[in-house]
Amino acid sequence: MKRVEVKLNLEAVAPLLDAIKEAADDLRPELALSTHAPDADKEFADGWKQELLAGQNTDIGAFLALFDSEFFTTGVLPLDPTNSEAILRACAAVRLRLHAKHLAPLGDEALESGEVPLDEMPEPQRRAFAAYVFLATLQELIVQHLDPTVME
Amino acid sequence: MIVAESRPNPNPSPATAAQTQLADVWRVVVLNDPVNLMSYVVMVLKKVFGFDEMKARRHMLEVHEQGRSIIWAGVREQAEAYVFTLQQWHLNAVIEAE
Repeated sequence: MKRVEVKLNLEAVAPLLDAIKEAADDLRPELALSTHAPDADKEFADGWKQELLAGQNTDIGAFLALFDSEFFTTGVLPLDPTNSEAILRACAAVRLRLHAKHLAPLGDEALESGEVPLDEMPEPQRRAFAAYVFLATLQELIVQHLDPTVME
Repeated sequence: MIVAESRPNPNPSPATAAQTQLADVWRVVVLNDPVNLMSYVVMVLKKVFGFDEMKARRHMLEVHEQGRSIIWAGVREQAEAYVFTLQQWHLNAVIEAE
């Protein structure tokens, strides 16, 4: 993957960052997907979880670092081989959290098709949905650049 | 191929040791989740297991349509490493005795 610069519409994306940052804050102490360590031993399970959590926090930190003062000046997200995998994982984690906290009641079919009742949704849910779609689009873009043979 | 290189490795509990004696072969199973994108899952399977496009897509579709897919089978230590790596990518992965 070469370095890619993604130019975003600041007016459209900036409001979504609140929902993304809120989800990121929620994820600081807990995993996006509750997992079971393969060993029932408590010490093993705790170590397993803590190591996953540390990796998740590192990934989310790398992702949020993209939205710095330069981003708010240029609207450009720089993606390169050093940050793209962490950003992919961070997007997955935040999407899982947005789904669990705001979007699950909409139903999986509606979410997959994008046919959701936007006008009837309360503002936090509408914003969470927009962030969820934005992160999916960013993931698709990165996947295509990391591995052009992958097709949806 | 990415595998977990460092993770906790405490002594197995007595129950786990007994299970390990009973099962020589362990499965890595990916369970469906309603959030992760199909293209993302395919990419992760290719990256972690070195699958080609067709094999990765077949497993992804099996997960999507049947709720689960056995991705790999072999010795427990390697199965644990794969499950850990898949969980790092936020896939719902578990280990099962064959």
